[in-house]
Formats: sequence, C-alpha cells, structure tokens
Amino acid sequence: MRALPGLLAARAPTPRLLLLLQCLLATARPSSADGSALDLPFTSLPLREEMMANNFSSESHNISLTEHSSMPVEKNITLERPSNVNLTCQFTTSGDLNAVNVTWKKDSEQLENNYLVSATGSTLYTQYRFTIINSKQMGSYSCFFREEKEQRGTFNFKVPELHGKNKPLISYVGDSTVLTCKCQNCFPLNWTWYSTNGSIKVPVGVQMNKYVINETYANETKLKITQLLEEDGGSYWCHALFQLGESEEHIELVVLSYLVPLKPFLAIVAEVVLLVATILLCEKYTQKKKKHSDEGKEFEQIEQLKSDDSNGIENNVPRHRKNESLGQ
Amino acid sequence: MARRTEPPDGGWGWVVVLSAFFQSALVFGVLRSFGVFFVEFVAAFGEQAARVSWIASIGIAVQQFGSPVGSALSTKFGPRPVVMTGGILAALGMLLASFATSLTHLYLSIGLLSGSGWALTFAPTLACLSCYFSRRRSLATALALTGVGLSSFAFAPLFQWLLSHYAWRGSLLLVSALSLHLVACGALLRPPSLAEDPAVGGPRAQLTSLLHHGPFLRYTVALTLINTGYFIPYLHLVAHLQDLNWDPLPAAFLLSVAAISDLVGRVVSGWLGDAVPGPVTRLLMLWTTLTGVSLALFPVARAPTALVALAVAYGFTSGALAPLAFSVLPELVGTKRIYCGLGLLQMIESIGGLLGPPLSGYLRDVTGNYTASFVVAGAFLLSGSGILLTLPDFFSCFSTTTSRPQDLVTEALDIKVPLPKEGLEED
Repeated sequence: MRALPGLLAARAPTPRLLLLLQCLLATARPSSADGSALDLPFTSLPLREEMMANNFSSESHNISLTEHSSMPVEKNITLERPSNVNLTCQFTTSGDLNAVNVTWKKDSEQLENNYLVSATGSTLYTQYRFTIINSKQMGSYSCFFREEKEQRGTFNFKVPELHGKNKPLISYVGDSTVLTCKCQNCFPLNWTWYSTNGSIKVPVGVQMNKYVINETYANETKLKITQLLEEDGGSYWCHALFQLGESEEHIELVVLSYLVPLKPFLAIVAEVVLLVATILLCEKYTQKKKKHSDEGKEFEQIEQLKSDDSNGIENNVPRHRKNESLGQ
Repeated sequence: MARRTEPPDGGWGWVVVLSAFFQSALVFGVLRSFGVFFVEFVAAFGEQAARVSWIASIGIAVQQFGSPVGSALSTKFGPRPVVMTGGILAALGMLLASFATSLTHLYLSIGLLSGSGWALTFAPTLACLSCYFSRRRSLATALALTGVGLSSFAFAPLFQWLLSHYAWRGSLLLVSALSLHLVACGALLRPPSLAEDPAVGGPRAQLTSLLHHGPFLRYTVALTLINTGYFIPYLHLVAHLQDLNWDPLPAAFLLSVAAISDLVGRVVSGWLGDAVPGPVTRLLMLWTTLTGVSLALFPVARAPTALVALAVAYGFTSGALAPLAFSVLPELVGTKRIYCGLGLLQMIESIGGLLGPPLSGYLRDVTGNYTASFVVAGAFLLSGSGILLTLPDFFSCFSTTTSRPQDLVTEALDIKVPLPKEGLEED
C-alpha cells in the first residue's frame, strides 16, 4: 500500500509546505482586475478542503478606503463559472487602528468570523476568501470599517449581461429577419428564446418559420424568422443560462406592411406631378402673353402708321423739322 | 422680339441655377449619403462589406461614363427632355431596389438604372447653365455646386431617420420619391433663346471635332491628373488622423470644418472668377497649386492647430477649384460644343477619380503610413496645374468672353419692322 501514504500526504500536507505552495500559485497565476501586486502581510492562512481539491479559477479583488472617503466605493465583477474568490479591503487612517471595528456582510446578513484582519503601519487589511459554486453565492459582499464614521467597500458579483439592440428592429411582411443576442467573453450553458403573448412569456418552439441558430460563436445566439407576418411582431426575450445564474435581454420586433411607406410615397409623387404641371403651364402662359403683347405692339405700330399717313400731309413740315433736329 | 447672340447673364438664368442646385443635391448628395444604407444592406443580405460597396461604385461609374451619352442626347433634343427622362430613370431605379431580394438586384437597379438616370441629368444641366451666363458664369456654377455640400449635411441624418422608421425597403421607396424631384428640376431648364447657328454637325461630328481639339485634350489631361489627387483626403483623412492617435469625434469634426470651408471656397471662387479680369484659367491654376501644396504638407503637420489650419486651407482651395473647372470649358470649346465637351470631360476625368483612391490605399499598404499617399496626391495636383499653363489665352490680358462690338450691330440689324420710332427706341 505504498500509494496510500502518498495519497494521505497529498490530502494533509504540512502548513509550511502549503504556505510555500500558495505563494508560488499566487505568483504563477495572473491576478485579475486591479493587477496591482498586493503584499498581503498575513502570517497564517486558513485552509479549505475545496480550495485545494477543485480546479476552479481564482479571482482576486481589492478595494482601498481612507477615513476621508465620502462616497461608497463599489466594484462590479462579472463571473460566470464557479471560482475561488479572494476579496481584500484596506483601510488607511491616521487614528488608532485597534479602535476600528471590521465586519463583512453578504447583501445584508453578517458573515461569521472566517475572515482575516491584519495591520501594517497605518493601514488595516482584511481578507475574505470563499468559493462561488452556484447562484446562491452571487450577490454583494461588503467590508465595513467602523471608527466614528463607517466606511464601506462593496464587491458586486453578477453574471454577464446580454446585449441586444436598443432600437426596435423593423421589417416588412414576407421578409426574413435575424434577431441577435450576444455577451462579451462569455460561454453560456444554454440559450433560449421567448416571445411574449400579452404578458406571458412563451418559449419559441418548433414553429414553422422560426429557427434558432447557435453555431458560429458561443457568445452569441441568433433567431431567424422567415416569411414574416404581422402577428410575428412584438417583444422577444433571449435568455442565457450560466452555472452561476441567468441573464436575459429584450428585443422589439416591428413588422410593417407595404402600405406604411406607400402613402407618403404617393403623396410626394403627386406633389412632383403638380410641380411639373405648374411649371410647364406657367411657361405656356407667359409665352402666350408674350405673343399677345408682341401682336399688340405690332397692331399699335400699324395703327400709328395709318394715323401718321393720314396726318402726313398736314404735319409734313413739322416732321421734317423734328427729323432734322434729331439728325444732328 | 429681338434675338440676342449674347447669353442673358441673369433673368431665367438664376432659375436654372436653382434647378442645378437641387439637381447636384439630389444626385451627389444621395450618392455621398448612401453609406448610411451600407450597414443595413450588410445585415439584410448577410454579405461582406466589399461586395455591398460595389453598389455605390457601379452607380458612380455609370454616372460618369454615361455623361457623354447625356450630353450627346441633350445636343440633339435640348436639355429639358433629357434631364426629365434622367429623373424618371433615377427614381425608377430606387423604386425597383426597394423590392430587392438579392445583392445583384441592387447592382442592377441602383447601380445601372439609377446611375444612368444620374448620367442624363448632371452634364446637360451644367452645360445649359453655361449657355445662360458668360460674365457671371463662375459664380453661377459655384452657387449651383453648393448643393452638393449642403445636401451632404442634410441627407445623412435624414436617411438615418428614415431607416429608423421605415427600414431600408421603405426608405429606398421614399428616396425614390425624393429623386423624382429631378423631373421637376428638369422642367425648369428652358432652352435659352439664343440665335445660335444650329449645332456644328450632329453629336458625333462634335465629338470627333473635340477629340482633335488640342487645348481641349490638354485640359482633359490636366483635369484627370487633378481628379486623381482630389478625392484622396475625403477618403483617407480620417484614417490618417487615427494613425496620429486622434479620437473619432475630433476627427469627424475636422472633416466638418473642411466641408464648411469647401462651401465657402466655392462661392468665393465663383464670385472672384467673374470679378477678376482675364482668363479664368489663371485662377484655376492658382487654386490647384494651393490645393496640391496643402495636400503635400499634410504629412508634415503634427500639431492639432497645424492640421486644422491645413484642413481649412485644403477645404477652401479644393472647393474653389471645382466651379472654375467647369467654367473654363465654354471658353475653350465654345457654347455650341459645350454639351458634348462636358460629357466627354466628365468621362475621361472619372478615370482619375476611380484610380486615385486605390492607388493611395496601395501606397499606404506598402509604406505603412499616409505620407506617400498625400505627397503623391499633391504631386498629381501640381502636375495638373502645370499642364494648365499650356492652355491658350493663359498669358493674355483679356478674357475671351467679353462681348464684341460686331455682335451688337447684328442685333440692331435684326429688327423686323424697321419703323423710325422703333429705331429711336433702340438707341
């Protein structure tokens, strides 16, 4: 049974070896989020069986507070797979560190004493480690430092959010359209689509014209609807299932019939026809006027000629004189 | 009614300017704002961006290569029926496009049909404008071309609004109705009552005579070179700015600044072209040289203030050369061959417009930045302006468009009823 001592050794190694192992692991794994290498002055670490036996990823997050922080400090963390979580809060104050009361809360209930507190110089550190396995462990975790005033730092754990389209999707009867839902850097276990009938969400089943396409990328899903009818319009929901919870997004589909743009189209065409007719008629009218005025002028001139001729004999002498004066 | 051999330089001519203004807005404004539909087509047909951009490319190519056809037809039938037909074709193309089920459908309806409609509108209108104006030709052309700039501002948000309410099918339907206004603009193109000799031969004879006309050919080569460099900043300025680590919003703002100074440049140049005595070719050469210089300086400028100043300078000078490029032509070939001349010119210079941007892109790929592209663009412009030196009347002191005394005498002798009273009125 040589294997047994080996196994036993793996299950309950010495604390010193584990400390070394932990330090090595901490330096080897890339730290998430803040990336600032925190030098945690902790001398002893609680050991959890799950933390060593599982192969979950590790998450480390840190919040810094001072006695003068006026606004509550929050950090939003997106998580989709079970992970080992390592939360640290540090508090800098000029007062007496021993007089500071440190507590941790999840949502609004107080957590028991499985967190650590330590101090260096004028900074107080507290660390809370736990594992998130399912949706019950998601939520808001807060660290509290109470002197005279209470300072608070909150870590919000959420599943990835989905992004659809903010504006409604417009399409026409007889067309086909694709509704897309996607999330950044996520791998949901399952995608589902719902359509709403009034206020009831009905899953999009195996209907004639609706196909769910999930192939291309794991972080997006598409719902293709062909041969659109007016009843196909309305609200659609895409639903993503993660190990740590669910997420959903709303997309609006509007199906129009061809009559909707046809009415303004016909109105504008009628306006253009009117314009063209007006322009051409105006031109004909002015041309007629010109012709009439030309004819009128010629008529006048002919009349003048006649009258001049008739008066010519009497006014001959004055006319000649007029012409002479102008001839100069 | 006495018939005049000289263009009226006003009167109904201003209505033609208005018509040309709306036409350039409806043709080029629509083309330039088509990028708004681009995203919708990519999503609706699931095609790649390159294949969708062919729609606009085919449209532009058909519009430019079809210009000689439009010009030839308007020489024969006059501008009015040709432009009205063009308007109907353009609107029909968009209408059919709204029923499209595939990308090929769009290539044929928007690219081919609407493109040929546009080809029948623009060249005849500008030629008609030149028939109406001689002393104020540059200003009239400039005012007409401002339609392009203003519509680029207005149509992009309008199309976006249409898309958000009617999707692309309904929007194409309504853009078709909008394009139908080209017919109304065409109805305004009353042929001027000039006592011209009938056109020298038919369109074919005119084309052959133009192709043997030395100055015209040199001018075409000059404009082709200018065209090669002209469009490059519109396409590559934003990318160049992003290479210099500019944010998208300030980069877009810089383009708007250039567009505004383009508009101002057009009008100022038009006014200047008429106010300054002497051939317009000299002014064209001035603006072209300045544009080339400002383009070549772009890679050198690094500071934001320098870039803004260069953008304003480029916008102003490039806008300034646009109307003059059209008003030089009547001086070269005469009003009788203006229609054919304009069409032929557009067709040949479009080669430059089509080759310039890909060449610039290729240089960018090879060298890694836009320095070479901008310098080459500037070089094209400068060489084009150099060829302008070889045009006739460049160094003369008088403009060829001033009215000659013998024309007035012909007028006086043309009176039908030679009454003494009428003779006195004439004086």
